[in-house]
Amino acid sequence: MFWRGFQVQRRVVGALLIREIYSRFGRETIGFAWLIAEPLVFAIPVLFTWRAIRNPHEHGLPLMPFLWSGYLPILLFRHLGGRALLFIRANATLLYHRRVTIFDVFLGRALLEIGGNLTALLVSFAVFYCIGEMEVPKDLPMFYLGYFYMIWWCVAAAMIIGALSERSEWVEKIWQPYSYLYLMFSGFFYLADWLPLGLRNAALYQPYTQAYEIIRGGIFGTTVRTYGDPLYTAFALAILTVLGLWLMHEARKFLVLE
Amino acid sequence: MISAVDITKDYWTEGRVHRVLSNVSLTVGRGEKVALLGRNGSGKSTLIRLLGRVELPTSGIVEQTMSVSWPIGWAGGVHPILTGNDNMRFIARIYDKPFDELKAYVEDFAELGKFLSEPLRTYSAGMRARFVFALSLAIDFDCYLIDEVMAAGDQRFQRRSHEELFEKRADRSMIVASHVAEIVKSYCSRALILHRGRSKMFTDLDLAFDIYNDL
Repeated sequence: MFWRGFQVQRRVVGALLIREIYSRFGRETIGFAWLIAEPLVFAIPVLFTWRAIRNPHEHGLPLMPFLWSGYLPILLFRHLGGRALLFIRANATLLYHRRVTIFDVFLGRALLEIGGNLTALLVSFAVFYCIGEMEVPKDLPMFYLGYFYMIWWCVAAAMIIGALSERSEWVEKIWQPYSYLYLMFSGFFYLADWLPLGLRNAALYQPYTQAYEIIRGGIFGTTVRTYGDPLYTAFALAILTVLGLWLMHEARKFLVLE
Repeated sequence: MISAVDITKDYWTEGRVHRVLSNVSLTVGRGEKVALLGRNGSGKSTLIRLLGRVELPTSGIVEQTMSVSWPIGWAGGVHPILTGNDNMRFIARIYDKPFDELKAYVEDFAELGKFLSEPLRTYSAGMRARFVFALSLAIDFDCYLIDEVMAAGDQRFQRRSHEELFEKRADRSMIVASHVAEIVKSYCSRALILHRGRSKMFTDLDLAFDIYNDL
C-alpha cells in the first residue's frame, strides 16, 4: 500500500518535472541547456565584476571562493522563493487530477531549481578551478553538509512564502525588498567571526547564517574561525519545514478555482 | 459508490462569506447516472469540484469506493501553454497509461488533426472541450464527473460522445451537470436540484424539469 503510493507519487513528480521543463524552456534541446546555463549566466559575470572591483583578499581570505559560496545559495533562495509566489494558484489546473497534490507540484519545481543550481555550482566551480581562482574545499563533507542545509532552508522558506502568498497579497509585495535585504543579513558578505559579539549571537539564530558558516568552514578549513552548529541548524530547519508543510496544507482550503 | 455527506461550502469574497452549498448530500452507486440541475451560480460546478476533490468542503465529507474522473468541463486539467501532445503525455504519465494508446484514442475521437501539435491556448473553446473530453474518456474511470461540457462541439461530435459515454459506458456511474432535458431524461435515473445553496433529489425527472424551469 505504502509502496504503491510511493510509486504513484514518483511517477506524478516525474511527470510534473518534465512538464515544468517543457512549459518553461520549450521543447527544444536549448531549453534543457538553458536550465543549466541560467544560473551561470547570472553568477559568472557578477562574480568576475566583484573580483575586478575589490581586493582579491577579504579579511585575509581569497575573495573568489568567498563570493562563490555566498552567491550560489542566494540564487537558489531567490529562484525557489520567487517561483513559489502564488504557485498554487498558477498550477490550480493540475489539481484537477486527484493524484496530483500541491506537495507534488512544489516538489517538481523545487527539484528542477535544485538540480539547476547544483549543476551551476559544479560548472562554475570547474571554471574557477581551471583558471586558478579556487581550490577544492578543505573539508568536503563539511561543505556538503553546509550546502545541504542551505538547500533545506531554501525549500522550507519557499514552502512558507508560497503558502502565505496565497493568503495575502502583501507577501508578494514584501518579497522583492526582502530578497534584497536577505543579501545583506544572510551571511553572504560576512563570517560570524567578523561581527561584534552581540550581533554575532543574534545572527547565529538564523539557520541560513548557520549554513553559510558550515559551508565556509568546509571551504577554508581551519584557516578561519566558524561558528556553525549542525544540530541547532537541523532542529531549526525541521521546525520551519513542519510549519511550511502545515501552511501549504492549509493554503489548499483558501484556493478558489475558476 | 461515491458519496457527499452534509457538504457545506463557503467562499470569501471581499471580506464577506458567501455560502454556495449548504448541507448538501448525494450518494451515487455503481452504474447510476445522476443529473445536477440548477441555474447559473447555483453551485453545480462547485459540487462537482468537491466530488472530484479538487476543492475541499468547508464542512462535511466526500468519500468514494470507486475511481472517479477529474471534473470534465470547459476549464481545468490541462495546461494552455503545452501542446495537445504534451498534455497527452502528461496525462498518460500520471494515470500510468501507455501514451500511444491514449494518443490513438484522442486522435480518433477529438478529430483535431494537426492541432494536437499546437499549444492548447490556440484552440477554440469547442476544440478544447473536445480535447479534454476525449482525454478523460481515454482513461478508464468507474465514475465520470461531467460539467456542462456535453454541449461542446458540433452535432457529429455530440452524437459520438453520447455513444461513447452512454452506450459504450452504460455500466459506469455519471454525475452530469446539464441543462439539456433530452440528455437528462433519456439517461439519468435521478436529478438533484440545487437552488440557493439547498438541494433536493427527484426521481421523477419530468417533475424535476417542471420545477427547474420555474426557478
